[in-house]
Amino acid sequence: MERTANDNGFWPRIRPYVFILPAMVFLALFVIYPIGDLAVRSFQKWDLIGTPTWVNTKNFEYIFKRKEFIDSLWHTGIYALCLVGLGLPISMLFAVWLSKSTRLNNLLRSVMFMPHVISLLSVAMVWAWIMNKDNGLLNMALGVFGIGPLQWFDSSDTALMSVIIVATWKAVGYNTMLIYAAMQNVPTELYEAADLDNASRISKFFKITFPMISPQMFMLLITATTGSFKVFETVRVLTKGGPGTSTQVLVYYIYKQAFYLNKVGYAAAAGVVLMGIMGVMTIIYFWALSKKVHYQ
Amino acid sequence: MAEIRFENIVKKFGEKTVLDNINLNIEDGSFTVMIGPSGCGKTTLLRIIAGIGPQTSGKVYLDGVDISRMLPAKRNVAMVFQNYAIYPTMTVRENIEFGLKNNKVPKDERTRLVEEISEIVGIHELLERKPATLSGGQRQRIALARAMVKKPKVFLMDEPLSNLDAKLRVSMRTELIELHKKLKTTFVYVTHDQTEAMSMATKIILMNGGVIQQEASPRVIYQDPNNLFTAQFIGSPQMNVLKFAASDVSYGFRPEKVSLTSDATQSFYCRKGTIVTKEMLGSETIYQVRYDNNSVMVKSLDDSFESDTEVYVNVNEENIQLFDASGVRIRADHQDFAGWMQKL
Repeated sequence: MERTANDNGFWPRIRPYVFILPAMVFLALFVIYPIGDLAVRSFQKWDLIGTPTWVNTKNFEYIFKRKEFIDSLWHTGIYALCLVGLGLPISMLFAVWLSKSTRLNNLLRSVMFMPHVISLLSVAMVWAWIMNKDNGLLNMALGVFGIGPLQWFDSSDTALMSVIIVATWKAVGYNTMLIYAAMQNVPTELYEAADLDNASRISKFFKITFPMISPQMFMLLITATTGSFKVFETVRVLTKGGPGTSTQVLVYYIYKQAFYLNKVGYAAAAGVVLMGIMGVMTIIYFWALSKKVHYQ
Repeated sequence: MAEIRFENIVKKFGEKTVLDNINLNIEDGSFTVMIGPSGCGKTTLLRIIAGIGPQTSGKVYLDGVDISRMLPAKRNVAMVFQNYAIYPTMTVRENIEFGLKNNKVPKDERTRLVEEISEIVGIHELLERKPATLSGGQRQRIALARAMVKKPKVFLMDEPLSNLDAKLRVSMRTELIELHKKLKTTFVYVTHDQTEAMSMATKIILMNGGVIQQEASPRVIYQDPNNLFTAQFIGSPQMNVLKFAASDVSYGFRPEKVSLTSDATQSFYCRKGTIVTKEMLGSETIYQVRYDNNSVMVKSLDDSFESDTEVYVNVNEENIQLFDASGVRIRADHQDFAGWMQKL
């Protein structure tokens, strides 16, 4: 059969659009519309029940005057910095360690991944017990070295750090697996060639391993950063933002404004700010790093 | 000077013995080609010289020095890998000078060496490029340059031409021969391609099943094989091997040593047969001839014979080789030689 007839007709021209239509409908309904709605609401005042009224940019002006917002932003920043700046290097160390194939490592690889599959609620309960200030495992262990007892979740000085420890613990396994898998894809001849080239272990890591896994690292960097800026459940189940507001992060703050205090317009404005921050961060990453990432 | 000596080398992967008690000398300045079917242990032996896949037991000597447990980098050998193993994240220049940098060669010296070598292999204008943008042939040259720049005592090459297209392979072959003449260092080259082995080697080491079958010059390997395996592995089409009636002793002759005639002749070995197939290759023609339940290949310059016609297969006495039941060659000085020849 020849396919000459009607190649420039109506149907052939719209055919590709028809094929992507279902996906586009879902994207419009569940991504584009909510974003637009969020942007519109951020210029309104609304208590979920009455009629929304337009308030121009008042919500935005208000946001940056609120200490609670600035504090939440600050907590979120610290949380993201620790999860990315400490979590990723720790994951990489584990991945290097696990990359040697021994029987113990094969077992550890499965064990490492477990925190990722366990439900966050169970994680919270286990860590609440481990970090119990009176008879928790951690304080007992630290006591051996004459440190503590620490208050962990119960003091505004240590609560954020405690949340970060738990979140890192939960994320490290997943990150380690991704990095480990990426490392397995580096051809062994490269290391053999490097052996003949008298490369040290450090030089092999920085000149071969790291550049070769840079696409995965870049992906992890972006997902870990945006993921930490969006953190909510971890804080919700571990501390509910407390004590006081010491572990209140941006999304938790937004949630509280919208569904406890019914300030929907104000919460929407904060949401827009959060979206802006994540957008800017992603752009900065791409601008600063994408040239350094090695794609095959 | 770079002479390599293997002493009782054994290599096992788990329970499987890949190299079985290898004793071998690789002469200084030779172009030694190790050849054999897949899994014969040729690459394993090469990696033992490099130190990147150490032997299970036995010793390796380089110029009389025991290098059995020496680190790869200290052995003064360079290797060209089958898929080049070029560092994809470095530029061509960084690739070539990586080893020099690690060996703390001063920058001026490094630059001078890189320029000099890249000029020789013809990649000078590519120095600042990334490998991903280069063709297979160019990558091959980078791998070569990276090996040469270290001025090693021994060049190890693991099927370096197998990823190139046919035309480039032929021209690289010539270049490697020239390079060997120029550098006068020892080349150890692994391949499964007999044309490469025959054309480049000053010495061929033919291996099978972890055992050396024969080590000799290409000419001797071809003309005077030690055993049936060697006789049949080298040569295309392979040597015709036929069994004596009611015996496990066999005799063989190469396809190009046969002359076809339409009438019976007085030659030493003359059999009447039928041409089954005919393949015209241009300069020569390959016939398959069947007689007495045997089928033999004949390579001839004469393309005038047709399929399904009867011909006479003629071979001279000196072109027939005998092999005993275990495949070992029965040479002219063997007591049974004359007896078997008479039966033909």
